[in-house]
Amino acid sequence: MTGNPPPDEVLGIEDLHVTVHDGAATAVRGVTLSVRTGEIVGLVGESGSGKTLTCRAALGVLPPGCDIRHGRIAFGHQDVTDLSRRGWERLHGTGMGAVFQDPTSYLNPNLTVGGQLAEVLRVKQKLRRHQAHRKAIGLFTAVGLHNPGHVFHQIPSELSGGMLQRVMIAIAISCDPRLLIADEATTALDVTIQAEVIELLRELRDQRGLAVLFVSHDLAVIRELCDRVVVFYAGEVVETGPVEQIIERPRHPYTQALLRVASVGDFQRRQLEVIPGQPPRVGEETTGCRFAERCPAAVPKCLAGPVDLSTLAPGHHARCIRATDPELALITAGQSAAGQSAAAAEMAAR
Amino acid sequence: MSRRDRRHRRHLTRPGSILRLPSARIAVGVLAVVIFLAIFGSALAPQNPLTINANDLFQGPSLHHLLGTDYLGRDVLSRLMAGTRLSVFTAFEAVAIGFVLGGPLGIATVFLGKWFDFAANRVADALMTLPSIFFAVAVTAALGNGLVQAMFPVGILLSPTFFRVTRAATLEYARAQYVEAAELLGASKLHVIRVHVVRKVLPNLAVLTAQATAGALLAVSFLTFLGIGVQPPAPTWGGILSSDLDYLNLSPWAPFIPGLLIAITVGALNALADAFRDRTGPGTLVVADPVVKTHSTLALEAADDRQPAA
Amino acid sequence: MTAQATQARPLLAVEGLDVVLGHGWQANHVLSDVNLKIWPGEIVGLVGETGSGKTTLARTVVGLIRPRNGRIVFDGAEISRLRGGARRRERRSGHVQLIFQDPLRSLDPDLTVAQIVGEGLAIRGGIGSQEIRSRVEDALAKVGLDSTVLYRQPGQISGGQRQRVSIARALASDPSLLLCDEPVSALDASNRNYILRLLSELRDTLDLPIIIISHDLSSLAGIADRAVVLYRGRIVEDGPVSQVFSAPRHPYTALLMASAPSVKHDRSLSVQQLRRTAADPPSPSAPSACVFAARCPFAIDSCAEQPALVPVAPDWSAACHRHEEWAGLARSRTSAARKG
Repeated sequence: MTGNPPPDEVLGIEDLHVTVHDGAATAVRGVTLSVRTGEIVGLVGESGSGKTLTCRAALGVLPPGCDIRHGRIAFGHQDVTDLSRRGWERLHGTGMGAVFQDPTSYLNPNLTVGGQLAEVLRVKQKLRRHQAHRKAIGLFTAVGLHNPGHVFHQIPSELSGGMLQRVMIAIAISCDPRLLIADEATTALDVTIQAEVIELLRELRDQRGLAVLFVSHDLAVIRELCDRVVVFYAGEVVETGPVEQIIERPRHPYTQALLRVASVGDFQRRQLEVIPGQPPRVGEETTGCRFAERCPAAVPKCLAGPVDLSTLAPGHHARCIRATDPELALITAGQSAAGQSAAAAEMAAR
Repeated sequence: MSRRDRRHRRHLTRPGSILRLPSARIAVGVLAVVIFLAIFGSALAPQNPLTINANDLFQGPSLHHLLGTDYLGRDVLSRLMAGTRLSVFTAFEAVAIGFVLGGPLGIATVFLGKWFDFAANRVADALMTLPSIFFAVAVTAALGNGLVQAMFPVGILLSPTFFRVTRAATLEYARAQYVEAAELLGASKLHVIRVHVVRKVLPNLAVLTAQATAGALLAVSFLTFLGIGVQPPAPTWGGILSSDLDYLNLSPWAPFIPGLLIAITVGALNALADAFRDRTGPGTLVVADPVVKTHSTLALEAADDRQPAA
Repeated sequence: MTAQATQARPLLAVEGLDVVLGHGWQANHVLSDVNLKIWPGEIVGLVGETGSGKTTLARTVVGLIRPRNGRIVFDGAEISRLRGGARRRERRSGHVQLIFQDPLRSLDPDLTVAQIVGEGLAIRGGIGSQEIRSRVEDALAKVGLDSTVLYRQPGQISGGQRQRVSIARALASDPSLLLCDEPVSALDASNRNYILRLLSELRDTLDLPIIIISHDLSSLAGIADRAVVLYRGRIVEDGPVSQVFSAPRHPYTALLMASAPSVKHDRSLSVQQLRRTAADPPSPSAPSACVFAARCPFAIDSCAEQPALVPVAPDWSAACHRHEEWAGLARSRTSAARKG
C-alpha cells in the first residue's frame, strides 16, 4: 500500500486525517485507499464512520468546520491535498464528477434539466449552443433516459427520482471525467430503479473506463456493484479487498458482523441479527482496536496498542490482530447464535 | 419529575445563547442602560430638569452641565435622563398593543378556517394602508392630547405586522408532521397551538418585537418632535431634539445629543433583532452547507450529539 | 392464515377503497379498489415503490385522507366516515396508531422524549401525571429505552433511538393495530434489523397486529407473515410471505425480488428476465389496461383489461391474467437473453 502508486491509479488517498468541529475531533483517522481506472471501489460503514467525509475530502467539498489535518490526496499524478478553490472548480466536472443522494437539491427547479446540462457543457467545454444541445441529447441517451429529446425540455419536478438521478449522472459524466464519486447515490431510489442505476454505472465503467468511488451504508448494494470494497469503522479502514473475497471470507469481525446484518436474497423468515453496542463517538479516543468493545472475539491484547492493517492476501488487508486466527470466524459465527440472545437481553435492559 | 423537568427547560431556552454574538452583547448592554434610565432616570438626574435658569442659556458642556444647557438654561443631561421614561414606556405601550392584538389572532386565524382567515387578512391589509403618524395625529385630535393616547393608534397600526408574521410562522409549524401525529392522537386545536405552535412562533416574534420597538421609539420621538402628546415643560427625547433644532444657529451641536441617543437605542434594538434572527434562522446548524447535507452527515451530527453510552 | 379459520372477523377491513388526491385536471387516482383484511396478531408487509400508494393507504386508514369510495372497518365499526368530535374520540382511544417514516419530522424537536411519548395520554385526559410518567417509562422499556432518554430532545439521541421513541409514542396509547410507514428506510442495516426485530417481538408479546410499509423485501421477509404488493394504487399480489417470496404469481413481485440487492447471488430469476426490452411486442396501452402492462414483458392482448385480484391458492391472490404461465416464459427468456 505504500511506495509508488500504480500507473493507472486515478485517486490515491494516503494516511488521510480529517478533523471536524474546527479541529475539536478527528473523524477520519489515517485512511489510505486508491481507485484505478475502470475500477469500482465501494466504501461501506455505519453512519458516522467517516466514509462520507473521506469522499468529500477527495472531492474538495468538505463541510465547514472540517479540515484535512494530515495526509495526501492525489488525483492522477496531481497532488490535490491543498488545491485552491479555483483549482477544484477546474477539476470538478472535467476530472471528476459527483452524484449525491438527493438530486433535487443540485438542480435548479425552474430550469429544464437539458438546459442545465447544456450549460455545463458550454461553460466547461466551450461548446456552442447547438453542439451542447446535441451532446446533451447524446448523454441523456447514454444514461438510459427514454425519449431524451422530451426529457431535455422538462424541469426537475416533472421527472421521477430515478430519472433525476440519471440526469445527475449525465451531468457528472458530461465532460468525460476519469473518476465518478457517488455518495449514497442509490439510497433514496426504489429497488427496481436502484438496480437499473447500478447497471448503468457498471456499463459506464465498461464503456468509458470510468473509475467509480461508491459510498453506501448497504453492503448488499456494494456487493452488487463494486470490484473492491473498503470497510470503514469509527474513522478507520478496518478491512479492504476484492468484493468476492470480503463477502466469502471476511477477516475482520466488524465486516463479519456487517455481513450478518446485510440483506440476504433468500427471502426466508429468519432471526434478524444486530450488531450489539454502539460505535465510539466521533473524536472519541480509544487505545487499541476501536471495535474491541463490540467484538465477540476481543482478547486483552486487542486493547494493548494501535492495530495496523495486516496483509492477508495480495490486495486484502484487515485491521485485526486475530485476522489470521482460524478460530475467529467460529467465534463470531457462534456469537450470532449465542451472542444474539445476549443482544436480546441487552435490548431488554437498555 | 418537575424539578428535573424545569432544570432541563432552563437548558432548552438558553437565554444566554444569543449573547455569544458580540453585537448582541453590546445591544443588550445599551438597552439595559436605557431601561435603567427609564426607571431611575428622573430620580438620578443631577438637576431638576424643569428648573429654568435665565443666566445659563445655550451653555456648552461644562463640569456643572455635563451636556450643556438649552434655550431656557435647563440642564440637558437631566432632561434627557428624565425624558427616557416617557419615550421608552410609550414605545413599549405601542408594541404591547400591537403584539397582543396581532399575535394571538395570527395564530388563531390559521386554525379557524378559510373564511375567517380571508376576513382577518383583509382587515390587516386595510390597517396597513393607514399612515401611522397621521393616524396618531388624528386620534389625539379626537381623544385629547396625550402621549399615551397617541401611541394607542400606533400600536393598532403595528398589529397587522405582528398578525402577518405570526400567521406566516404558524402556517409553517401547523403543517409539520408532528402536528399531524398529535392530531392522530386526537389532539384538539388548542392542544396543538399550546404544545407545538406557540413556543416555535415566539422566537420569530422576538425578532419583530425588537424591530417594532425600534420603530415605535422613532414614532414616539417623531410625535413629540411635532409637539404631539406632551405638554411643553415635560421632557422627552423627541421634544428635546425639536427644541434644539429651533435654536440651531445658537448651539449647532445641541441636536446631536438627543439624536445620537435615539439612534443608538434604535440601533441596539435592531442589532438585537438580528441576533434573534441569526439564532432562530437556519444558520444555527453546525453543518449547514446544503451542498454537503446527506443523510449520512445528518447521522454524523446525530452520532456526535449522542451522549456517552448510558 | 390459521387466524382466519379461528376468527370470523378481521380486525381491520379495507373494502373497495378509492382515493383521489387533487382536484380537477390535477386529480390523481392514487388508490383503486383496494381490499385488505388484517387479522389479529399478524405482521403484514405492504410492499411497493414510490407512487404505488402505500403511504396513502396508511394515511387513509388512520383518517388523514378521506377516501372517495369504499369503507374502512375497524373491529366491526366503520371509521372512514367519522367527522369532528367523533373522529377525535375515536383517535383518543388510541386503537390505531401510525408510525411515520422520518422521526426527525414526526417528533416535535422542542419537546422532550417524556413529553412526546406521553402526549397521547395527556390529550386523552383524566390520567394523573404519575400515571402518565409510569406508562411512558413502560412504553420506553418495551422498545428497549431506559429513563436516561426521558429528558432528551429528539435532536439529542441517535436515529435508531428516535425511531424507537416514535414506536414508544404509539405503544403508550395501548393500540390494537400498528401501522408503520417505512420505519427503517433511514437506518443502517444493524439498526434496521433492530427495529424490525423489535416490531416482531411486540407482535409476539402483545399479540399486536402490525402493518409494515417497506420497499426492502429482504428484511421484511425475515419477520412478516403476509406480503401485500401494491403497484400504481392497486394490490397486485397478496399472500403468505413464505409462498409469495418463493414463487411469486405476479411478475412485478418477481421483479422487486430480483432487484433487491443482496450479499448472496442465488436468484431464481434475474432482473433481465423480468424487464421489458425493445424486442418485446408492444404492450396494450388502453386506459383500462393492466397497471403493470407497460412494464411487463409478458403482456398480451388480454392484458388490455385490468385483471381482478383472484385467489390463486388458499389465502393467496394475485391480479395477473397470466399468473400461471409467465414464470415459465421468464425462465425461457434466459437463453434468449443470453444469446442476444
